[in-house]
Amino acid sequence: MQPPAEHVHWLFATGILFLGLLLLAEAVVGREVWRRRRWRAYLWPALLFGLGVLMWPVMVLFTNSTVHMLAHSAWAQVMMLAGAAELGLVSGRLRHEAWRLCVPLMLAVSGAAFLIHEANPWLYSRSAFVHHLCGWILLVGAIFPLGAAFKPRSWVFAGGYALVMVAVSIALFTSRDVAPVFGHLDPAAGVQHR
Amino acid sequence: MRRLLLLAPLAAAALAVPGAAWAHATLQRTTPGVGARLPVAPRVVTLSFDQSVRTLPNGIRVYDTAGKLVSGVARGVPGDPRSVEVALRRLPKGAYTVRWSAISNDSHVGHGVFTFGVRVKAPALSQAYGASGPTASEHVVRWLYFICLALVTGGLGFRLLVLRGDATPAAERRFYRLTGAGVIGALEVGIVAFLLRAQDALQLPFTSFLYGDLSPFAHDTRFGEAFVAMELGFAFVAALLFLSWLTGRRSLLWPAFLLSLGLGSGLSLASHQADDRGWLPSFADWVHLSAATLWIGGLLSLGLVVAGDRALRRTAFWRFSEIAGPLVALVVAAGVYMTFERFPALDDLWTLGYGRLLLVKLGLVALALAWGAFHHVVIRPRLDRPAVANRLSRSLAGEAAVAVSILLLAAILVDSKPPAKPAPPRAATGIAPSNTVLQAPIRP
Repeated sequence: MQPPAEHVHWLFATGILFLGLLLLAEAVVGREVWRRRRWRAYLWPALLFGLGVLMWPVMVLFTNSTVHMLAHSAWAQVMMLAGAAELGLVSGRLRHEAWRLCVPLMLAVSGAAFLIHEANPWLYSRSAFVHHLCGWILLVGAIFPLGAAFKPRSWVFAGGYALVMVAVSIALFTSRDVAPVFGHLDPAAGVQHR
Repeated sequence: MRRLLLLAPLAAAALAVPGAAWAHATLQRTTPGVGARLPVAPRVVTLSFDQSVRTLPNGIRVYDTAGKLVSGVARGVPGDPRSVEVALRRLPKGAYTVRWSAISNDSHVGHGVFTFGVRVKAPALSQAYGASGPTASEHVVRWLYFICLALVTGGLGFRLLVLRGDATPAAERRFYRLTGAGVIGALEVGIVAFLLRAQDALQLPFTSFLYGDLSPFAHDTRFGEAFVAMELGFAFVAALLFLSWLTGRRSLLWPAFLLSLGLGSGLSLASHQADDRGWLPSFADWVHLSAATLWIGGLLSLGLVVAGDRALRRTAFWRFSEIAGPLVALVVAAGVYMTFERFPALDDLWTLGYGRLLLVKLGLVALALAWGAFHHVVIRPRLDRPAVANRLSRSLAGEAAVAVSILLLAAILVDSKPPAKPAPPRAATGIAPSNTVLQAPIRP
């Protein structure tokens, strides 16, 4: 019933890659041009919200430790919150600019959850490396949507946010359950299966 | 601000350190399997992990139902550094609890517990040897869960069946806030309830519990299966509720309402009523719970959603009082059936603690019913009088407070053990009946 962790990583990597590419397209052409078709404004927030909903099955399936369960639950909730806040802003149902802070909050909480739930050091195995890498990218990358919340027209902040998501997706695509990283695999991690 | 700047590098360092400090092994397979019913007594218990492990001599302990240790000294499995095992004495027919601790090569310890049975059904993890019963915090958490359920199911029912198309923008806003708080609460409180119940079985200090293996509890117990179904279901209800708010489509509330009503069955299937007694007690429990959440959630909505609008409140009060009667009838009918089903003898009601608690609950239900009847018979025909309308909010708040107290008693009752039914005569084969209750002594 429980799929291998690497399959789940790849599934979310695909979703996050689409998210990053949509954000990148918006950053390249500019918000005004991107939103000439009204439905395009809804694309990335809806995808983010959907990824949050999809994280709940992961939360209930991967219960091999309390800290894993709590980390997946945190991701599910902050992704849904950030997606919902952006959808509310785009549709006009929410008007207060403070709702824009939900996206940097999502990145910061997600990054912290990656770092806290990964039990092993950086070079223990590839999946451990990926978790640490994603954690730090998200934590540091929260600066970009935070800046964008105050300067929505800045292409630096918009582009930076998009590239953060693309970088996270690439890192997640490289994840394997038991595989070496830079030629290093801790003997305690088990036998390389791929 | 300066303090914050000083704390930032410390926080960053703290996040970097866990990677080096919290390495642990994850249990992947056990022999015998988790919750297995074995025809023949096993000679060893083997645990296989996802990485190399060591174990201390008492790292795997197997107990019978009386708490007698039936295992020897734990050791590694020759040729397999990722497995550890312990030899067992000759096991007679009965239920057994395995408690384990394993050390990964980087010196960090993981813990877990599971059960198996030799020619009998394995006990639930909550009845494993050494597991403790529900605590006061679990009663409070379950109570909060019931309130959240009432806010979601009752709130949606109130919006769809009582307000229908007449909601003002302000009432609509309050409805989404109240029901949204309910569904978020149901998700969060559900997680806390699951962790508390798992901790009852694992009996670990907090830091060890963070790395305790919850899989046997999540996937091999009725409570765990209910947790999985209800978390997924309420996440979907949350999404539907949000989309309804975003798009202004009331039709999306119908699937959310039906789903949240159905999710109540998760609690029923994990309750005492589902203990090998067929489908009818579970169904009665679900009817009891659903009708109660609709009634109590409706009362709360009547007080909070339409509070500021006198005309709308009058309409809502009339409509709600029409459906409250059938709801209360369902609550009482299902409750009476379950009382007869649960109590083998009438004097259990006043001789047992469980029965006395039920009597207190029945007293509060009677008070709430009298209050509701007063609203229906006395207040409803006089709603047009300003003096009556002004006092209605306080009266509704009083009735809602009684109803919420009933939920607290219901939470304690659900967590308590009802009187055992008289055991059926033993079968000729000598195999114990499948609903045997294991009375495990509590030893932390």
